[in-house]
Amino acid sequence: MAEGGRGTAPGGTAAGPGRVLVAVYAVFALAAGARAGVQLATRFSEAPVAYLLSALAAAVYVVATVALARGGRRVALAAITVELVGVLAVGVLSLTDRAAFPDETVWSAFGRGYGYVPLVLPVLGLLWLRHQARAAGRS
Amino acid sequence: MGAMNTALVWSATTVAVLVALAGLASTVASRRIGLVHLAGAAVLEVLLVAQAVVAAVALAGGQRPPETATFVGYLAGAVLLPVAGVLWSRTEPSRWAGTVLAVASLVTVVMVWRLVQLWEAPGG
Repeated sequence: MAEGGRGTAPGGTAAGPGRVLVAVYAVFALAAGARAGVQLATRFSEAPVAYLLSALAAAVYVVATVALARGGRRVALAAITVELVGVLAVGVLSLTDRAAFPDETVWSAFGRGYGYVPLVLPVLGLLWLRHQARAAGRS
Repeated sequence: MGAMNTALVWSATTVAVLVALAGLASTVASRRIGLVHLAGAAVLEVLLVAQAVVAAVALAGGQRPPETATFVGYLAGAVLLPVAGVLWSRTEPSRWAGTVLAVASLVTVVMVWRLVQLWEAPGG
């Protein structure tokens, strides 16, 4: 991989603290992806909406991971915004409409099953992207 | 613990926590990761591979956790994680390499204990 990515500030979104962020996103991409895969393959008819949201969450994590790793700030911003909206929406829905979410997803109850990391991660991601945008503006 | 060897689980947990602490320490001290981190990650990897072999033997012997596919997925993930963590942190020239390794180690701990849970879960 080219150091620092393309068209980004010195360092880029995958350098320094960004590398930690990419690592955490990669873990969630894998965890959410595997979980959604099992849910869709074995119990899809039980709660199609919840499991499709689970798959969407996985896709969002994959896109965010790749975008951050390669320095695609705009794609990363879009993915992480969707992620934040998703974790908040699914968080509320999973608590108010339990019947629709019989099985835990990454975003259920604001990511309680994952130590609330899914709730904190998009906030850190957005802060990091803002920091990167400013660094790019200065150089 | 059946396929999960108590001694291996606890030593992997201990080593992973030590690697994580060493990684965080190097970030706090503004240093890159060194031989200590790599040696620690190597020991962790050996323990995880040993645990994977024990679990594979149990599975081959006909023992099955309730969610076999999930169990095997976690097992493979746990074995690959320290390797991925080392590779991803080795390409980081700053002090944050240590935190990357710490994240990988701590996630490994979570995965190992999820494996224990998955194996001991009542059949369903």
